[in-house]
Amino acid sequence: MHGEYKMPGGKLVVIDLEVHVGHLRQVQVSGDFFLEPDSALHSINAALEGQPATADEATLANVIQQALAADVLMYGISPEAIAVAVRRALHQGAEA
Amino acid sequence: MTRSQWHEHDWQLIHTAPQAPALHMALDEVMTEEVAAGRRAPTLRVWEWASPAVVIGRFQSLRNEVDSAAAKRHGIEVVRRISGGGAMFIEPGNTITYSIYAPLSLVEGLSFQEAYALMDAWVIAALGDLGIKAWYQPLNDITSEAGKIAGAAQARRGSTVLHHVTMAYDIDAAKMLDVLRIGREKLSDKGTASAAKRVDPLRSQTGLPREAVIARMMDTFHARHGLHFDHIRPHELEQASTLAHNKFASDAWTAEVP
Repeated sequence: MHGEYKMPGGKLVVIDLEVHVGHLRQVQVSGDFFLEPDSALHSINAALEGQPATADEATLANVIQQALAADVLMYGISPEAIAVAVRRALHQGAEA
Repeated sequence: MTRSQWHEHDWQLIHTAPQAPALHMALDEVMTEEVAAGRRAPTLRVWEWASPAVVIGRFQSLRNEVDSAAAKRHGIEVVRRISGGGAMFIEPGNTITYSIYAPLSLVEGLSFQEAYALMDAWVIAALGDLGIKAWYQPLNDITSEAGKIAGAAQARRGSTVLHHVTMAYDIDAAKMLDVLRIGREKLSDKGTASAAKRVDPLRSQTGLPREAVIARMMDTFHARHGLHFDHIRPHELEQASTLAHNKFASDAWTAEVP
């Protein structure tokens, strides 16, 4: 499943994922955003892995926020934007 | 730490013969670390490309961004850089690319948006001298009324910030669109439907040879901030060559975000 969201005034956030028995698997966040340090990408992927496919945007954004170390810097991307892209991937997957 | 000024630093210029795409990626990592370690003074490096390339951002998905079969067909190497941001389509002679390896103190206390604009203020001035009214378009573009001119990206390592920019001098838009996958979502708030129309190259805007544009840019940097000719040290080149081979030319790195 694939979802994209262009954060208003920000960059493109892309999500590729699978759903197995109601949970997110093989979650891959990508896009043309900026993230420091770059290892934070893996933290975000790992935080989303295993989340219920029914989780709403606010829940997903919170899960991402909690997983980020205090020194992580984001530019053109936010936990909320990632959550929107995840919901879009799930929504488009459901329609397919 | 208080914010430092450009003129407080002893800026070095590196502008060498054309180098391979993977070596350019590696040089950015090595030079950033050399400045961070205090072994190198802050440096401006102007790139010359030995061969065509697509340079994808640190967090971009290789298969989502690049049509690998088309890239192979055109003989274009795909490399991943250490900074975020979007894909760049490079053909030797068609772009002007530079890196600034600066102390983080230069952008101390600034927002990301302010830091990007600060690092390229000299370029906006240089373009003005060339008769182009250009400005910074947040988050990370240099643009003019005729269209986008350049894209910037920053990465931070310790006490150093890498700021690098690719400017379009000339462009084969058809080939670019053949190789890059540019989705509709990305263009959704740009107010234009055509990716090719988003870029307006410097050649048509200045009527000057590429070398002349670069020379004028160097003059402007020199006049504003001071600039001394330097070269890549043997140990820097050796480190970068090893890194190019082991990391930046490897599938493991290029497909790190598959």
